[in-house]
Amino acid sequence: MSAATGALKRLRFSRELVLLGILIALVIVMSLLSPLFFTLGNLLNTSRYFVEVGLMALGMTLIIITGGIDLSVGSNLALVSVAIGFTFAAGLPLPLAILFGLVVGVAAGFFNSVFITFLELHPLVVTLGTFALFQGLAYGLTGAQAVSNFPPWFAYFGQAYLLGAVPGQLIIFVAAIVIVWLILSRTSFGRYVYAIGNNEEAARFSGVPIRRVKVAIYSGIGLLVAIAAVIYTSRVSTARGDVGLGLELDVISAVVLGGASIYGGSGTIAGTVLGVVIIAILRNGLLLAGVPSTWQLFILGVLLLVAVFLNEFFRRSEE
Amino acid sequence: MTSEAGTHAAKAEGGTRFRRVLGRPETPALAFLILLVVAFSVLSDTFLSVTNLESILISVAVLGVIALAVNQVVLCGEIDISTGSMLGLCAVAGGAVATSVGGFVLPLLAAVAVGALCGAINGTLVTLGRIPSIIVTLGMLYALRGVILLVTGGTWITALPNDSRVLGMGNVLGLSVPVMILLGLFLVMEVVGRHSTWGRNVYAVGGNRRAARFAGLPTDRVRFLAFVLVGVFVGVASMIYMGRAGSVQTNTGTGLELQVVAAVVIGGTSISGGRGSSLASLTGAILIGVILNGLVLVGVPGIWQQAVLGALILLAVTTDVVRRRLLGDAA
Repeated sequence: MSAATGALKRLRFSRELVLLGILIALVIVMSLLSPLFFTLGNLLNTSRYFVEVGLMALGMTLIIITGGIDLSVGSNLALVSVAIGFTFAAGLPLPLAILFGLVVGVAAGFFNSVFITFLELHPLVVTLGTFALFQGLAYGLTGAQAVSNFPPWFAYFGQAYLLGAVPGQLIIFVAAIVIVWLILSRTSFGRYVYAIGNNEEAARFSGVPIRRVKVAIYSGIGLLVAIAAVIYTSRVSTARGDVGLGLELDVISAVVLGGASIYGGSGTIAGTVLGVVIIAILRNGLLLAGVPSTWQLFILGVLLLVAVFLNEFFRRSEE
Repeated sequence: MTSEAGTHAAKAEGGTRFRRVLGRPETPALAFLILLVVAFSVLSDTFLSVTNLESILISVAVLGVIALAVNQVVLCGEIDISTGSMLGLCAVAGGAVATSVGGFVLPLLAAVAVGALCGAINGTLVTLGRIPSIIVTLGMLYALRGVILLVTGGTWITALPNDSRVLGMGNVLGLSVPVMILLGLFLVMEVVGRHSTWGRNVYAVGGNRRAARFAGLPTDRVRFLAFVLVGVFVGVASMIYMGRAGSVQTNTGTGLELQVVAAVVIGGTSISGGRGSSLASLTGAILIGVILNGLVLVGVPGIWQQAVLGALILLAVTTDVVRRRLLGDAA
């Protein structure tokens, strides 16, 4: 009895270790399913596809820790992508167009935060609205057209290799992980984020600047989305209004799989990164193993449910 | 509790009555709806015709029927974003039965049964599994779409017999069947919400779950039934959809889940539960239909629809905040 609960206790303190175990098991299974899977080339190439989701998931982790949610990230990605593409097509030099795109991304996030903090509206409702609004603007402003005649150097962000085989965006992702991790675990700002998620009322009375923190994290995810949009646009060499559709669900799945509680108050960057990688490996591995993409959706859905169930189960046994 | 406010207002003097009307959850959306109908009538000659108004109601029948049920889930303080995939799966089940045996009764039963089963899975995971409903239904959104692709193998269901399409295409006594279903279910939900034990419990559970539990209400059963109701209504809606479309594609219902939540919220039901009405969700759905229809008639290109819908959601919830502050946060 005591040995069993003891084992359970140790398990609950290392949710990330459990995820790591799942990841390793997944890699072994995938390697058995397809000889192509466990090659350095494939593993590095897989990262091309998860960096965009990963960058957004970093920001989403902070938002979910505060008990919020952002459904508008996929639409914001589309908006930034066309902002870059179409200002460039209209004659703006590309570096300035990229800068403009970053500003648009942050502004979109700030827009969300204004509704959430000053009108005290539920983030779910606000970002449901901006989910439609941003997507609609990206669509309407461009007349559903696409831009794709970017200069060759633009490909650097999404298609370049560094040191021989490492995709360029992987380095950006690693840098972002380190920065967000430092902010969340080593600064008072990071403590505020957890405090708000645990008990917003108590945090307010303890003098946590709740509005400022929320404005910062929703604007911050806007910046991460904008960086993801630059990488995405560069990778596919096209800016179009309907990119990023459904990405928000991938992002939220990754964060929740990583152990963040949707009720707020808990979650880690390490967990999120593992969640992102597990989903990416699952998708890539199943693809290489010749499993039809129809199964992928099903497996992803079931995996998400199982992960959250286990998470909540352990969390309850902690209490 | 605000939904009952009107009944006591009879003898109240003007100012209080005004506050009561203002305090009802659906008031801003209704006012906005009337304003829009007037505006579009002025801007377009064809808008205010019986045929056009009926076609608006037909176009929002699927959305409206599902919104009526999701409204109950939201009133409980939960959310259901699996309805898009669920609609697809119900339509596949109904379509398969329709092509093999025909008629509309058996396909309807099949669709409703599949829907109720999906709803029961959602409800079980939320209540017994204690997983947050947004995660449960997000997972189901993926999983059910996967099931659709698995059972259909990616092929469409076509050549539906005409007698199976009655719920989407039929006419009884000059009124189209989808509109009758929508209005009929609305009346049922209004009665359920006002006079049935479950309907009152939904408000209690959404208003304060802890208090409801301490008062001895079966909070888990109330929420479970709300999720099952969504499944049943989605099943009915899928037959309307199938009847109108004449075929079932594997991407049926994609993106519908957010429109449904939008309709509920635009109508004035609070996303945090406990406050709202069936009239609110119906108003929200019709409002969306009127706007999409009106924009086309006024000549706004279809690509702007999404943006307008988004702006509308933000406008609606902002109006709600302003109204609550006018009432001193009392309502």
